[in-house]
Amino acid sequence: MRIEVRLYATLRQHALSAAEGVLAVDVPEGSKAADVIAKVGVNADEVHILMVNGVSSPLNQVLAEGDRLGLFPAVGGG
Amino acid sequence: MAREDSLALLARGEIPERYKRNIGTIGIDGQKRLLKARVAIVGAGGLGGTIIELLARQGVGFMRIIDGDSFTLVNLNRQLLATERTMGMNKAAVATARVAEVNSDVETHAVPAMFNEDNAVELLSGMDVIVDALDSIKYRLLLCRMAQKLKIPLAHAAIAGFTGQVGTILPTGPGLEKIYKSTSGSDKGIETVLGNPAATPALAAAIQAQEVVKLLTGIGETISHKLLYFDTELNIYELLNLV
Repeated sequence: MRIEVRLYATLRQHALSAAEGVLAVDVPEGSKAADVIAKVGVNADEVHILMVNGVSSPLNQVLAEGDRLGLFPAVGGG
Repeated sequence: MAREDSLALLARGEIPERYKRNIGTIGIDGQKRLLKARVAIVGAGGLGGTIIELLARQGVGFMRIIDGDSFTLVNLNRQLLATERTMGMNKAAVATARVAEVNSDVETHAVPAMFNEDNAVELLSGMDVIVDALDSIKYRLLLCRMAQKLKIPLAHAAIAGFTGQVGTILPTGPGLEKIYKSTSGSDKGIETVLGNPAATPALAAAIQAQEVVKLLTGIGETISHKLLYFDTELNIYELLNLV
């Protein structure tokens, strides 16, 4: 199944071929968000906000065909 | 003019000259609410400096400004209260002096100490709104826990590079643990890589100050249960649903 992955801020470095950080990733049925993150090459420790179809979700969220996965690093400056 | 004079005028339906441009947006009732409000601003750096300036001009009646840090040269690129004259001076003290220059209606209480577990209850109790203008994830999480425990709404913002985020944490809503993993070990985010340029804190702080105004006046909708994320490098402005 195909998942659309959007990488934000510094995580975009893992999507060098897509300047705006949007990738299409093919993974087996039943894959979890963590599996997609590993496939993209992002360190899960760097992901602080994980959105699936616009809703905050856990790493072990099971995905479905066409899901949109958004990955955000920690922004902490003041 | 003192705050009591402004409130007396507003009670008669008259608008103090200095608030005339506020009234079309927040009304006389809104201005009265702001002048009677008590807000704690935790951090008087990049975010805090701009928030304090905006809330002073908007006419928030009492601000407790908490920062144990002093201005250094690296603050000059973005922190409104950092000037060549204020180098080495305590940030909270400089902030209160600035507020006194801008609006004598506003009472301030400078706390030249770092926010921590020991002083949290004393500094936050009795406030109507708390502003998170910190730069430490560990202390942001502590501030959020304390605000929720004390049942006081918290206006949060954070920045890094071209990126920023703003949201309002309500006592019963999702807290900052939805935004920051406390298990990551690091106390900082991607600002250690991307830095903190001039415009990003001002942009986040302006929206954060507007959240404070909405919370205090009851006007409009706050960014609660959500997080506004922006990345001005790619013109991304997204509202993330945290529930």
